Amino acid sequence: MRLARAGDESAFAEIMRRYGPRVFRVASRFFRRREQVEEVAQEVFLKAFTQLESFEGRGSLEGWLAKIAANTCLNILRGSKRRPEMTASDMTEDEATWLDDKLADVATERHRASERAVVAADLTDRVLGTLSPEDRMVLMLIDGEDTPVKDVAELLGWTESNVKVRAFRARRRMREAVERLLARGGKPRDRIESAGER
Amino acid sequence: MKDEHIIAMLDGSPLGAMSEGELAAAGAHAENCSECARALEAARVSSLMLKSRAAEGFEPSPFFQTRVLAALRERQAAAVEFWSLGRLWKSAGVLFSTMAATTAALAALTFIAPQQSSQDVATNNRPYTAEDVILGQSNQSDDQMSYGQVINTLYATDDSTER
Repeated sequence: MRLARAGDESAFAEIMRRYGPRVFRVASRFFRRREQVEEVAQEVFLKAFTQLESFEGRGSLEGWLAKIAANTCLNILRGSKRRPEMTASDMTEDEATWLDDKLADVATERHRASERAVVAADLTDRVLGTLSPEDRMVLMLIDGEDTPVKDVAELLGWTESNVKVRAFRARRRMREAVERLLARGGKPRDRIESAGER
Repeated sequence: MKDEHIIAMLDGSPLGAMSEGELAAAGAHAENCSECARALEAARVSSLMLKSRAAEGFEPSPFFQTRVLAALRERQAAAVEFWSLGRLWKSAGVLFSTMAATTAALAALTFIAPQQSSQDVATNNRPYTAEDVILGQSNQSDDQMSYGQVINTLYATDDSTER
């Protein structure tokens, strides 16, 4: 740490090697393309290198880097275009099929096949894309990764009650969005089937 | 629980964090409440979506460190270049302001000072006109003799010498 502060590149490379996976994990919650994730991670480490002086060593270096990563991701998402509204008609055929299968059976092993997982992740990303960056972050951390509220509060610099309120609202928004999709989910499927009959 | 709507409970905590008892009670309520049944279904799909999305992720590529270090060097070089450009700009500024001050001083000496002196010369060399003399009479102070008084005095002197 001392060497990295003094500008030693090899020491900084060691920090990257050790904590890179954590930073990548944070960035992966927001971005799905490898290039995007790497770009964000690079930005995080460049920021970390220039702000290394400000790290007081109160918490762990890993936590500090994760915090920078979370803030960087939130800033990028805040600066990006307005959140789109998602409707059932926006769903692709694969997504509609996946959703219909979920209605039939939510937790069977066959749905965990990698191809299905990609479709599910695509749809998830689009549903999450309709939420605010903060809501998205909170949901991914708490519901997706089972991160304790206390850790989320520490990572985002919020109070625990704020995290809980955010999570409650975000969960409701996501549930309502999925509910709307499920309510109309049959339509694209019908369309696919009728197209297949022709 | 059976008669209580479960929507608030579904929004209150992750589905994965609920106990089996809570889930069973929620399921039992959902059987008789279509609104809660829809909410429960959506909550299950949401939870599954988030879990599958969270499972996705990347490990840093082998070239990641090299890329970051190269970017770091590039930024540092850019910062150095920026500072040297800044210094150059500062020096250019000092040079420019010195030149401007010199030009202004020269211009002042060339155009303003000679005009003032030529104005003085012009004022000094101007001949008296009849108007000046007549108007000057009214402006003269009390202790000065008027033009008529001077003439009278001269003539009086001449008369006395002739006598």
